[in-house]
Amino acid sequence: MQLKCKSKTFANISLTLAAATCALVAPAMAELSTPEVSEIDSWDVDLGLLIYAESDDQVQAYEGALSVTKQIDDERSINVKGVIDVLTGASPNGAVAQNRAQTFTRPSGNGTYTTAAGDTPLDDTFKDTRVALSSQYQQQLNRQWLYSGGANVSKEYDYLALSINSALARDFNNRNTTASVGFSYAYDTIEPEGGIPNPGAPVDDPDNRLEDSETKQTLDLLLGLTQVINRQTLMQLNYSISDVSGYQTDPFKILSVIDSDGWANDYVYENRPDQRTKQSLFWRTKYNLQPSGQVLDVSYRYFWDDWGMASHTIDSKWRMSLANSHFIEPHIRYYNQQAADFYRVYLDDGQPIPEYMTADYRLGELQTYTIGLKYGFPVAGNEFSVRLEYYLTQVSGDESLAKGVGMTGVDLYPDKSAIMLQSFYRF
Amino acid sequence: MGKAYNLTRQVDHWLGEFVVMASTCQILLDDVDAAQANRLVALAYTEAKRIEVKYSRFRDGNIIASLNHAKGRTVQLDDETVKLINLADLCFRLSDGLFDISAGALGKLWHFKQQTTLPSDVDINALLPHIGWQQVQWQAPLLTLPAGMQVDLGGIGKEYAVDKVALLLENEMRLQQIDSAFLVNFGGDIYANRLRRNGVAWQVAIEDPQHLGKSKLMVSLGKGGLASSGNSQRFIDVDGQRYSHILNPQTGYPVADGPAQVTVYAQNCVQAGMLATIALLQGEFAEDFLKAQDCRYWL
Repeated sequence: MQLKCKSKTFANISLTLAAATCALVAPAMAELSTPEVSEIDSWDVDLGLLIYAESDDQVQAYEGALSVTKQIDDERSINVKGVIDVLTGASPNGAVAQNRAQTFTRPSGNGTYTTAAGDTPLDDTFKDTRVALSSQYQQQLNRQWLYSGGANVSKEYDYLALSINSALARDFNNRNTTASVGFSYAYDTIEPEGGIPNPGAPVDDPDNRLEDSETKQTLDLLLGLTQVINRQTLMQLNYSISDVSGYQTDPFKILSVIDSDGWANDYVYENRPDQRTKQSLFWRTKYNLQPSGQVLDVSYRYFWDDWGMASHTIDSKWRMSLANSHFIEPHIRYYNQQAADFYRVYLDDGQPIPEYMTADYRLGELQTYTIGLKYGFPVAGNEFSVRLEYYLTQVSGDESLAKGVGMTGVDLYPDKSAIMLQSFYRF
Repeated sequence: MGKAYNLTRQVDHWLGEFVVMASTCQILLDDVDAAQANRLVALAYTEAKRIEVKYSRFRDGNIIASLNHAKGRTVQLDDETVKLINLADLCFRLSDGLFDISAGALGKLWHFKQQTTLPSDVDINALLPHIGWQQVQWQAPLLTLPAGMQVDLGGIGKEYAVDKVALLLENEMRLQQIDSAFLVNFGGDIYANRLRRNGVAWQVAIEDPQHLGKSKLMVSLGKGGLASSGNSQRFIDVDGQRYSHILNPQTGYPVADGPAQVTVYAQNCVQAGMLATIALLQGEFAEDFLKAQDCRYWL
């Protein structure tokens, strides 16, 4: 039988170990910065539903979107998104209201529709389904450089849009500054039913159609700078320039030709220049109020182009946290636009038809006010949110143009309003 | 469409769970909301995964692979690895050579996977010349392993990950001004930052190695690290003798006559883990060692 030495004397190594282990996890200052949160091997799915309805039975839209993001690894991710839109309703055709009923040939050339006296003429053939698919790839090239590139395709009954984009971003200054440069190229084809109308030709002229389809190319360049000001504040500055060439006319829009008594005796197809250069400057500040976790997000955009248009947009959102991860986010937006040089509410009979002209209110002088509220809360550990927004568009212009027996008292610049309801779920 | 981690709301805390380093890892958060819990658990997961990727000996292309394939060449280590190697070096000296990160090669012979026979002395003796931290040249940040020697930070990595994640959570909570107690548990290696709300301690169940799945004892943990070492998971029985997975790097054999499991409480998880492991390496003298350390322990 073996006799065990029942005890053995040991040195106390705890203190030495304590000192060593404290040094082990004691952070070097560089490690203190929070690493990027990445969820490797994970899929993120976003589901969105949108209902948009304009007043007076004008455009209504229903949209469903599904977005799937896959984090391939620490450096790479890919996103695929599909959207289906269904649009119905009627939209202003560009003709002015009259003190008598007006009958219009449908843009396709098949059949007519009639607008009652005093009403703004609305083209009721507005009905379309759009399917869009896009994919975006992102890769962290190294500690500083981030690349992203993508492609989009969108198809409607009479419209096909294709585009590709690419961007590079670089971090500076300990990741407090990010500069980015991006470009995109888009190629759109429109093939309206009945063919491309001959600009300036009377709507009722049987020989007013040109070729079957037209195309448009857009080249965008974006320069961006994002700066972390302090722990609470983030600032972003973007400049973009966009060159559009090709067919930019809306083949469904017309203009009334008005005689001296204010009566529309004729309607002609609109025409817009084939060339447009758009530029915009965008500034945004996000302010994170601590410790309440409120986020104030304010932005301003100035836009101008060589069609004589210019606009200002002020947008602000304020996110407030409530108990149990619920939040509300009020949203206010103001938009003010100056009309394109060739915008006319109508043309005068007896005058030569100008080369470029449109009565599309979207190219006229207008202000838009948006007020909305988003409410979010967790459902099964994921965020669900609902947003309700109200838009009011006030179109303005020279009221004295409502002249003669034909137009006295009619509203040349009717306001529009719309309600949008949107829901998102991310899991 | 699962994330890499699960987050669930429990009666009085949030529980984040993920599997990293072949262990079930849990993050318990007392007073946070869902978004904060999500962010904190994501942060914990990312850090744990980073440590796994960096130090796993089963992966190619990491620092461990570079060292193990260096074939006698000198490898320059980064700051974090320097600290870990310094600690391993210290533990080797404090344990009189029992705690040895170069002993991993013995695992090839003692793999404990349906093993019913003991490795042969010939095989063990063939391996021993490649084991022994005293043979390395360590002049931080330069480490030179003799050709044929391999290192494995598995004995430190999990405890280190616990402390590192805990530090990260504390920093993030300070930044976000979140005031909450939390507990990090990576497969039984634990750190808690403080008492729970209302001053209640965390109740940690320590598994009975003889009866897996049933808890042997409950430990009240306020602030600090808790780590267990023992043959609860990996062992073989040959001729009625249980061989634990704690291997003596000097003999090449499992340590005999020691307690089945040692649980130690210390300031942080690495300290607790090193004390528990070194205690177990003492075999029958484990308790004598623990008594000398002025620490709380459970056998």
